[in-house]
Amino acid sequence: MTSRGARLSMNVFAAVLAVLALSPFLWLLVMSFKTNAEIFRFPPRLFFPVTFDNYAALWETDFRTSFANSLVVSVSSTVVSLAIGVPAAYALSRWTGSGGAAITLWILASRMAPPIAFTIPYFLAYRYLELLDTLTGLVVIYLTFNLSLVIWMMRPFYDQLPRSLEEAAWIDGATRWQGFTRIILPLSGPGLAATAILCFLFAWNDFFFALILTRTEAMTAPVAVVNFMNYEGWEWGRIAAGGTMIMLPVLVFSFVVRRYLVSGLTGGAIKG
Amino acid sequence: MAKLNRRTLLGGSLAATLAAPAVNAQGGKPYNGVTINASCFQTTYYEYLKNYFPQFQEKTGIKVNFTMQAFPVYNQRTDLELSTKGSAMDVCNVTFIYSGRWIGAGWMTPLDPFFKDAKYTPADWDPDDFVSGAQSAMKNAKGETFAFTHEAGAMLNIASRYDLIEKAGLKMPETFDDLVKVCDAIDGKDGVKAFVADKLHHWNWIPYLMGNGGSVFKAPPENLTPTFASPEGVAAAEWYANLLMKYGPDGQLSYSDDQAMRAQMSGRANMRTQAITWGVPLVKDATSKVAATTRFALMPAGPKGNFPGSNSHGLGIPAGSKKKEAAWEFIKWAFSKETMNMIVEKHGYPSVCRTSVIKSPKFKEVMTLNGQDVAALYLEVLQLGGKTGYMKYRTVPVFPQVGDKINRAIDKIATKQQAAPEAMKQAQTEAVQDLQKAGFKVDP
Repeated sequence: MTSRGARLSMNVFAAVLAVLALSPFLWLLVMSFKTNAEIFRFPPRLFFPVTFDNYAALWETDFRTSFANSLVVSVSSTVVSLAIGVPAAYALSRWTGSGGAAITLWILASRMAPPIAFTIPYFLAYRYLELLDTLTGLVVIYLTFNLSLVIWMMRPFYDQLPRSLEEAAWIDGATRWQGFTRIILPLSGPGLAATAILCFLFAWNDFFFALILTRTEAMTAPVAVVNFMNYEGWEWGRIAAGGTMIMLPVLVFSFVVRRYLVSGLTGGAIKG
Repeated sequence: MAKLNRRTLLGGSLAATLAAPAVNAQGGKPYNGVTINASCFQTTYYEYLKNYFPQFQEKTGIKVNFTMQAFPVYNQRTDLELSTKGSAMDVCNVTFIYSGRWIGAGWMTPLDPFFKDAKYTPADWDPDDFVSGAQSAMKNAKGETFAFTHEAGAMLNIASRYDLIEKAGLKMPETFDDLVKVCDAIDGKDGVKAFVADKLHHWNWIPYLMGNGGSVFKAPPENLTPTFASPEGVAAAEWYANLLMKYGPDGQLSYSDDQAMRAQMSGRANMRTQAITWGVPLVKDATSKVAATTRFALMPAGPKGNFPGSNSHGLGIPAGSKKKEAAWEFIKWAFSKETMNMIVEKHGYPSVCRTSVIKSPKFKEVMTLNGQDVAALYLEVLQLGGKTGYMKYRTVPVFPQVGDKINRAIDKIATKQQAAPEAMKQAQTEAVQDLQKAGFKVDP
């Protein structure tokens, strides 16, 4: 087989794999434009009358508030996690003392047990602090989980950046902070993008903590979608439309930062 | 004698309004400014009822902050809230499958001091009017009541294409043998599978287990030794798994309640033994293709009798509530004869639990479906559950865990991963472990 033929076969194979991997999403997307009767038509039709009623219905329900809550909570927790975690990762990377490795390990503590292990303590503490059903409460929860991710993802980036870069800046009169913000931070763009998207995804997709720690005011979109499963019948079209809406920001965000994503995820893998 | 003028007339009318029955026996608005938090899973009764909350507030001064969530979301949140004795809720739904756990653990408030005291409740509120079968899940072993019911499920045999059964020269099956006979005759006719069920075998299968002479536990709630792997249980499991696989549509082992209903509604599947809640939409939903051909009958009986499933959900007051009197005012109003009759009359609600409402001409009119008096069938099933107490198995605290084991066993038998005796034995062993972990004694 010629190399061109081989490449063509590989491309076809990749396209088939991509369609297979995306088929649940495509099914959901198509379902969101169908009426309930059309959703349950058997066998399903390839061409069907398209309806936007499910999306319009989302707008009329509390889902829009929950969607906004999800955006606020995810963006806030991502920004705060990066704001705290990135300098922390840099500091740990440059720490020459003996405790650095131990501290880095302990930072992972919040990830050492399944989330359900933290449920009762968080619930009781939040009730005492009156943080139940608040956006602040959710941001704090996601922050605690995302901080370890930020530190563990960003530290290898800083490890691989030669210290001589910031030392040169110090010789030129820069402070340590200026060396970090003007020299080191701009070089860690891909890592920041990859870390940001993972933090955003964790907060955006979280169902468990949003289920336990919210009621109505701070309910996020993943929980709101489940609320279309009524006792006397599920609203399949709205569930599909809500699911599609939930996937949309992640797709847009990933598309925007895709250039950095691969290098960001692998950047710290090989030191040298 | 006081002079009759506009002011005294207005004052008199206002006093009469405030002293309205079933609102506050003391008259006045002692709860003015009080807000109570109430919660339930999403169900149509409260979708309808919340339209009348302003009237309740006008009468009592109590503002109701009522939230509804999806069934699994509600149960998860409420279980956590109750288990930590929180005061966030003043009124909550007592979900049938959790009633044993929530009541047994002391997480709910006994309502007897409220409904037995004329200070709080007038005699004509009539607590005995609630169907005994529905109420039995809301009581503890001492007979104290912890909730009043607003929603009951009564298992019936629901055929979406009765015309196919008639065409085969048969009628609605009355026994398990009849059921198989009818399934054999109609399966695949007009592209319709004969039978359908959802994946909750721990609800759907039990009537077949009991009809065959088996039981889930030895003598619930006193003796919770699992007994469903008995020879009768194994035979019932094998029979039921065969019924599903031979006559059911592909993929039904993963069907939710709603998917099974949609299979019937779209004319893909015919009979289903399930609560009436899932049968009424076949006739009343605008998108149903089987509205004219749907028929209802009692659940078929087994060699040992007829044990249709029945369940109920009710409103109670969490033990941690700090506004119990106001909470009772709400329950009293929400489930008064007047309110329930109004919901039936104005909205056609089909699952009420008050006998007087079920027997009312309006309810009969609402529940006369395709010429059939379904209200009578509904009441018969609810009363059956209350008479012999065979539904007690379902309200014991550990039933959710045991039910999971039953679900898995039936799935394994249906998909031929395991033979019935082994699958049931394994499920029973695991159920015993669950019970022992939860601190229950089981017979050796």
